Amino acid sequence: MSLPFKPASTPWLLAHELRLAWRGFKAGRRGSGPGALIAFAVLGAMILTGGIFLGLGVRGVDVPIAPLVVAIADLALAVILTLMLSTTLAASADALYERNDLDLLFSSPLAPRKVLFVRALGLAVHAGLWFMVPAVLLLTPSILLGHWAWAGVFVVLAAAALGASGIGLLLAMALFALIGPRRTRTVAQVMAALIGAAFFLASQLRNLMGERRSESLFTRLAVDVNEGRVVLPPLADWPLRAALGQPVPLLAVTAIGAGIFLFAARVLGRRFADAAAATQGAETRKAARGPTRAFAAGAFRATMRKELRLISRDAALLSQVLLRVLYLLPLAFAMSRTAGHLPAWALAGPAAAVTFLAGQVSGSLIWITVSAEDTPDLLAISPTPVGVLLRAKLAAALVPVAALLAIPIAVLAWFAPLAALWTAIGAGLTAWSAGLIGVWRQKPGKRADFRRRRAGSFLAALAELAVAVLIGGATALAVAGWYVWALPPLIVAGAVMMALRRTDEQIAAALRAAS
Amino acid sequence: MTEALIVRGLNKTFAKPAVSDLDLTVHAGELYALLGPNGAGKTTTLRMVAGLTQPDSGEVSIFGVDARKDPAGAKALLAWAPDEAMIYDKLTPLEYLEFVAGLWNIEPRAAKAKAEDLLATLGLSDEARRRCEGFSRGMKQKVALAGALIHDPKLLILDEPLTGLDAAAARLVKDMLQARVDAGGTVILTTHILEVAERMADRIGIIAGGRLLAEGTLDELRGKAGEVSTQSRGQTLEDVFLQLTTEAFSEKVGA
Repeated sequence: MSLPFKPASTPWLLAHELRLAWRGFKAGRRGSGPGALIAFAVLGAMILTGGIFLGLGVRGVDVPIAPLVVAIADLALAVILTLMLSTTLAASADALYERNDLDLLFSSPLAPRKVLFVRALGLAVHAGLWFMVPAVLLLTPSILLGHWAWAGVFVVLAAAALGASGIGLLLAMALFALIGPRRTRTVAQVMAALIGAAFFLASQLRNLMGERRSESLFTRLAVDVNEGRVVLPPLADWPLRAALGQPVPLLAVTAIGAGIFLFAARVLGRRFADAAAATQGAETRKAARGPTRAFAAGAFRATMRKELRLISRDAALLSQVLLRVLYLLPLAFAMSRTAGHLPAWALAGPAAAVTFLAGQVSGSLIWITVSAEDTPDLLAISPTPVGVLLRAKLAAALVPVAALLAIPIAVLAWFAPLAALWTAIGAGLTAWSAGLIGVWRQKPGKRADFRRRRAGSFLAALAELAVAVLIGGATALAVAGWYVWALPPLIVAGAVMMALRRTDEQIAAALRAAS
Repeated sequence: MTEALIVRGLNKTFAKPAVSDLDLTVHAGELYALLGPNGAGKTTTLRMVAGLTQPDSGEVSIFGVDARKDPAGAKALLAWAPDEAMIYDKLTPLEYLEFVAGLWNIEPRAAKAKAEDLLATLGLSDEARRRCEGFSRGMKQKVALAGALIHDPKLLILDEPLTGLDAAAARLVKDMLQARVDAGGTVILTTHILEVAERMADRIGIIAGGRLLAEGTLDELRGKAGEVSTQSRGQTLEDVFLQLTTEAFSEKVGA
């Protein structure tokens, strides 16, 4: 079907990108089956229900432009903006390296500025949708029930996404100019992880510094603002006013977001094309020196070694893991500091969090090692049984997790051995469940596609999250000494796992259907 | 004569029949070229032989091992190298060969020596410890070929092995394949370069529409084409190929 725009115009290119994105989305959904759709619908219905209650609760109530509300709105926008920036920075760096159709577009008479404009808009949409969809579901009832001006939130989110896209591109290009094509992607991925975790780490600064246990810096800030100890700077209330639909602040916020976006797209067009051309083959490493290692014996060890090598060379995956490790740090600090002199129940929260994060990190690694395979045919024609290959891939994913968790658990074991034991069991269980889900719900594809999609099966991710929360809860209860109460969440987690279980035949059938 | 490959009544249908009632016999120690126009069913046939695609019906036997009943036993005897190199960009050739040798459970020391030898033969010694991500298509093909040879397969199946290779590399690969056959190995290859098949193949199979049109030495094929038209006698493989496949196409259109 031809596109209803003048060929080579910006709307034409945009329509082309949208068509590709839509077809990619549809193909992805086909592979996921009805489970993911149901999970999306349930999640959407839950947010909408919350939105209805919110709408009824705030009917006829105006949001006061008070210092506390202003501080909360500013912090929320800052968190959203950093999360969006984390996404757009990583995606901007990737866009430089992934050839796809870039070579075709840049070798055509299309202006590079036009190509970059459309690509940047794609980044903004991708980053913005994660917040826009829940916001629409949550706020539409309130808007329909009288707060029509709250639609300003959507405009603020769109402006934030545009701004994040522009800043992400500028940062990626600045990195490229500073450190060159060979390292930009890796550094950008790490930076993206740090930016994504920045607000969480900042909020936990007092925990990390040992000033006060479990008090967020932001809670303190909000209290100080409310009590007048901290005075907000001028215009600090504009984001809130914009979100509430006041015309001038709304226009200003929109102008800032769109301005950054247009500036980046306009200024970087030609440079982006040149940079993309310069990345061709730039990631090639120098040949290693020194004696070569002895070859691994047998399929299990050879596969495990190969997977560990691929994990260690995957910057996107490492940044994802780093992000989760960064979340783990304050908890590890809190645990090691409180373990010696506080009752067992005080360790329940951190133990649950360590267990939960163990599942999440395992899930990320297992998802990649099990599902992402560049040469499935090579494995299929080898005489090695599939079971051996899967076990080796699982082991390769779990070795880094075990190494990562060994330190906090060892520290905990020094002060509170029983709590450490329960934490280790909980972490082991979440990792094991993530492994099973990864195998049962595997979705094969090339490694590069995984980087582009940045996510796998939505249903599997949701199930992994639910099981990790449940086992984390059970671990917390066990650490607190309430053993009987630890059983119900474990049973529910077991039920979720049983619902997800697939036999070997079902896995094979799903893989055949997906291929 | 020992048969390296026996295919009987092989069928595979996707949206339309890809392979229909195919019979094929490849003798041990010969180089067999499977030729056919685009979409003829060559790759599907070879994928079924390699155990990568499940046939709807039919039998595949590799050196007497029933590939459907004992897939692991059959796979241990063969290697498959498709036109798109099956390699990992983030591994070096040496690391890749270590992995492949592990899959076939080759003794590590012997595998390492063989890997270094193969890379040297293919002119890749200097690149042995450089990641494949910056390699040209031809270099990647060579790495994949080394992977196919590392476990010394009795039956080597190659789909368009010369695609992307420069003249020198193509000569090198052809020499390696010839040496392998001279040493008693069996090679099956598909190619669109008919001169290669004409010069190297002991026997040639021509496939179109998923059916084997003719099989035999070049002279036998000339003879078969001659039954269709006397003009084919003494002509090149290209003439024979075009004659047989055009005839098959005309029959199909006529039907």
